[in-house]
Amino acid sequence: MTTTVLIVDDSKLARIVIGKAVSSLQPGWTRVEAGNADEAITVIDARPVDVVILDYNMPGRDGIALAEELRARFPAMPIALATANVQDEIVARARSADVTFVVKPVTEEGIRGFVSGAALRLRLPQP
Amino acid sequence: MTETSRALSPATGHAGTALMAMAGPWLEAMDQSGVAIAVTDPGLADEPIVYVNGAFEALTGFAAAQALGRPSNFLQTAATDPDAVLAIGAALAQGGSARADILNQRRDGETFWNRMSVVTIRDTKGLPAFRLTTLTDVSHEYAGDVTAQELRISRRDLIEARERLRVVQAVAGAAGGWEWDIASNRFFADARFASIYGLDVLAAAAGLPATAFFEPIHAEDRMRVRIAVGGALHGAEVFARDYRIVTEGEVRWVSARGRTFLDAQDRPVKFAGVLADITGQKKIEERLHIAQTAGGVGSFEYLSGYGTAEVSEQFCRLLGFRPAQSLPVRTINSVVHPDDPAIIQNRDGAIGSGQAFHECRITRADTGEARWLASRGEYRRELSGGMTFTGVIYDITQTKNSEAKLRQLTERLEERVEARTQERDRIWNLSRDLLNVIGPDGTQRTVNPAWTALLGHSEAELVGMPMASLVHAEDLPLLRLRLAALLRGETVPDFDIRLRAKDGGYHWVSWKAVPEGEAIYGIGRDVTQRKLLEDQLRQSQKMEAVGQLTGGLAHDFNNMLTGILGGMDMVRRRVSQGRLDDVDRFLDAAMQSGQRAAALTHRLLAFSRRQTLDNRPLDITALVGSIADLLRRTLGEQVELVVDMDPELWSAVADDNQLESALLNLAINARDAMPEGGRLTISGRNAKLSASDLAHSDRAEAGDYVEIGVADTGLGMAPEVLAKAFDPFYTTKPLGQGTGLGLSMIYGFVQQSRGNVLIESQEGQGTTIRLFLPRHAGALTDAAKPASIDASLGQGEVVLVIEDDPAVRLLVLQVLEELGYQAIETADGREAIPILQSQQQIDLLVSDVGLPGLNGRQLAELARETRPTLPVLFMTGYAKEAIDQARFLTAGMEIITKPFAVDELGHRINMILRQNK
Amino acid sequence: MIAHVIPLEDLERDALTELVNIGMSRAASSLRKMVGEQVLLSVPALEVVTRGGAATLIRERESGQVVAVRQDFEGIFSGRALLIFPEANSLALVRAVTGGAISAEDAAELEDEALAETGNVVLNSCLATMANMLQQSLTMSLPEVIRSDGSSLFDLVENGVEEGVVLFLYINFAINDRNIRGYIAMLMDLPSLEALRLLIADFIRRVVGDET
Repeated sequence: MTTTVLIVDDSKLARIVIGKAVSSLQPGWTRVEAGNADEAITVIDARPVDVVILDYNMPGRDGIALAEELRARFPAMPIALATANVQDEIVARARSADVTFVVKPVTEEGIRGFVSGAALRLRLPQP
Repeated sequence: MTETSRALSPATGHAGTALMAMAGPWLEAMDQSGVAIAVTDPGLADEPIVYVNGAFEALTGFAAAQALGRPSNFLQTAATDPDAVLAIGAALAQGGSARADILNQRRDGETFWNRMSVVTIRDTKGLPAFRLTTLTDVSHEYAGDVTAQELRISRRDLIEARERLRVVQAVAGAAGGWEWDIASNRFFADARFASIYGLDVLAAAAGLPATAFFEPIHAEDRMRVRIAVGGALHGAEVFARDYRIVTEGEVRWVSARGRTFLDAQDRPVKFAGVLADITGQKKIEERLHIAQTAGGVGSFEYLSGYGTAEVSEQFCRLLGFRPAQSLPVRTINSVVHPDDPAIIQNRDGAIGSGQAFHECRITRADTGEARWLASRGEYRRELSGGMTFTGVIYDITQTKNSEAKLRQLTERLEERVEARTQERDRIWNLSRDLLNVIGPDGTQRTVNPAWTALLGHSEAELVGMPMASLVHAEDLPLLRLRLAALLRGETVPDFDIRLRAKDGGYHWVSWKAVPEGEAIYGIGRDVTQRKLLEDQLRQSQKMEAVGQLTGGLAHDFNNMLTGILGGMDMVRRRVSQGRLDDVDRFLDAAMQSGQRAAALTHRLLAFSRRQTLDNRPLDITALVGSIADLLRRTLGEQVELVVDMDPELWSAVADDNQLESALLNLAINARDAMPEGGRLTISGRNAKLSASDLAHSDRAEAGDYVEIGVADTGLGMAPEVLAKAFDPFYTTKPLGQGTGLGLSMIYGFVQQSRGNVLIESQEGQGTTIRLFLPRHAGALTDAAKPASIDASLGQGEVVLVIEDDPAVRLLVLQVLEELGYQAIETADGREAIPILQSQQQIDLLVSDVGLPGLNGRQLAELARETRPTLPVLFMTGYAKEAIDQARFLTAGMEIITKPFAVDELGHRINMILRQNK
Repeated sequence: MIAHVIPLEDLERDALTELVNIGMSRAASSLRKMVGEQVLLSVPALEVVTRGGAATLIRERESGQVVAVRQDFEGIFSGRALLIFPEANSLALVRAVTGGAISAEDAAELEDEALAETGNVVLNSCLATMANMLQQSLTMSLPEVIRSDGSSLFDLVENGVEEGVVLFLYINFAINDRNIRGYIAMLMDLPSLEALRLLIADFIRRVVGDET
């Protein structure tokens, strides 16, 4: 069964860049995309998603709000927040929702830790 | 396959097996290879090492077991160029292979240049399975000092080097370099840096703490530089500051340019830069700047083919642009009138040659004003190809306007001359101001009719008369001074002198005079009325001040008298009722009021007479501690007292009594400023003051001071109150509630102590007063205070007392009686002289100084005629005599100032009589 | 004999400039990672001007149209951050940030989108770093791309107040080898100078810190 990663970002460029970095680390993963929080929920309701990488600053609900909702529904799902908004407060909020903080611009180097951690976690037996 | 165990650690077991499967046959060859080899697994986080060979162990000092499982970059150090690392990553991502020289670190901490070559080994699906890296030590190619090696590779460093070259070129080889290790917060500097900074060369090379970077910086620039360096250490990339450093008393300008280097996570690791001595350049720049600004000359430099030109600030100003260092040529030329030649001509690349000069009209970009400019420049062919056009522009509007006006003037010259002459005659004849022309000999050549109108002298009398002969004797020196300057052709400020009228009265005349050829032209205006008003104003201000002072004094004294009289009255009642138990309370209150009155008169005298201060080395911390209780009582419960003294506080030189009273006064002011309560902080710290810090002080000199701060959290002062805070008699309290002497006395005391006072206050923000007292250079010696006086009993010696005030006389007699002396009392010289001239035994004369008829001093003189060895003790309430003690007293005479304590009087009398035995 | 009050303003300016220097350095680092090229920065400049004055400043330096990505921010202080460059550089910048990821046609199509994201990343890093240095938090609007001759960059859409005085801070950047240059600029309102001063004083204490 392949792993599906959902990339949520209102910027197409950002989705391309993140997608590219993920693919080069995990070529086998299936990528799906969403442009905002509501679209993301629609995708998740429609198909299984294993990993989510989301933007913070989006029209409508922000990334943290979405992350909190997803965390409530999927306690073990690997979720990353990718943003250039490196304010301590945002980093702390991400941490308290058990969400990995990834600094934009997203590079292969920058996201490697999250992706390999996620891959490892998915390999463990699911509770 | 004995060596393959290197690859089979538990952590990498899976990878090891896969590696064996893929590269089995090669592994043995690798093990034996003399080239250091490492294999990493790109599929895992941080790309861990899964295999190293023996040569790797030998090169790096890490055994296989220590290296396996570590991230691929574990040999890198903080000094490894991050760009080079990024470049390797990029090359690998793109083509799967990379080559680079990077700085690595052995296990023993030694660094080496590693020429590494990386290739990616792909699995059957073409995905990266392993990376194979060979490592070669090429440090010998990077021989030279370590700093140079590290500066060598990256492009960023090239830019640095270019910048360094620029600075070096600008200042003819005077640049020094530094490098700041942010983790340890130490910087390393080369010999040139050390010499500019006045640092020890070896110490600078070995690394110095941050303080050494800031310490030599001029105090006025230090904080700016610290902020800028602080920024750099927190990640600001660009550092550029010109500042002054002071070494061995000499001030030099330096230019520091630096750059901060970040690691891959954007954390600052290193802050490096160059420092150049630009003292000479600065002077030239300054001169150039002044010349350009004063002359209104703007300069520019343009390289053909570019869209922008380098321009000076004044250039921008002349065209009405905001100051900039470069402007697009299009923008520059857009302000020029379309019919006139452009300022910078480069149409179609056609650029002139040689000298160029032209004039043009412009419309200023900011105000829209039309101006004339001239542009003068030179075209030069550059060695590197292309042409530069360097030049200046300046405003010629005035000249252009003058030219036009001159033409008009010439055309109508004759009629104008006629008109002007009439106009001038009219002014001459009708003016109410005195007009005159004075020749080089000081005599008046002509005067206008106003002279006669004002002073009554006829024109015939005035012409040929020296001006000096009309001037009030007191004003003659000023007139002579001014005339002499005018005759030398100098301009002089306006001056006021009095001129005598024919009727003998004087008129104040304010003069404006100019030299012209050999003569002086003067215009005088009668300002007598104004002078009178000014005098009246001054007088009334003085009266107001005196009124305020006396009102305040009367209030204070009335309060104290109420305390004394009320207390005494209560004592009398209690005594008459036989209730003696709480008499002490009222006596204490009366004593206190009396002492306050004494203190007030003392302060008044101090203020008016500038009494001598008893300056001595003081431990300020101890002094503040000793009055803390008193202050707390004064401040009341609503105000919290905080004492915050630097434990290393120097000792100061001052008069302790004066300082105590200053602090008490400040505390009282602070209390009154905090009607709702608050906090009063008395702090002490050491301060070094420069001459500019002391610009407002009369007598203080640059050096070490002890600063005593008194800060309240009260109402603060409005700026207009603050401006007058130190003026004598100025008070914000209602009339009659204070003398307004407090702050001005403190000011006087501190100035007299060669210190300084600063006051900072904002409305609603509280007030801070800072007293600066000069530091005491030596150690503190405990000046022994006179021990408490223990008056021993007399043996019937005879004392003649002369005192016209019955109350004081009563007191003195009482003391003498209690001490066992016999007293003869007299009220003045008339009563005393017969006794003095009799055979009556007299052992001591105690006399008031101010007496009706003969004063005390004269009386003593008389007494000494018949009793040359008679000791005399004067009592006086005037401090003036105390100051003149040396002149006033001769041998065997002493003085005691009123008011005095009973014990003190007894002690003095006792001492005198014992000495004479 | 009037007390002299220490002229703090110069130091405050210095400190503010330094704060922006730190933020903008971080922004440049982000841009560097996006384009994979060296990004050079000038010394930052700070001016107190009217909004119109700020616009004039940019217009005088740029003879043609400019493109800007703007992001408004609010918090203990508020204002607007902009990434500005000549319009002629716009496509080159888009190509630089998209790299080999998409085709040239896609790049042209994605132009505004890519500019917005670039601005978003660059300005967010700058503002967030500054907020962290001040230990305050800021909320930032979504990025918006504007094309203009420079005059309307600093207009307030909301209330049209033109003549208020603002703090204008800017830094020039150039991308090596690509002939792309521009500005990172920031406009700060001065609703509460006092509050800002307190923050600056704290900031000074923090950066000057223990090196006494």
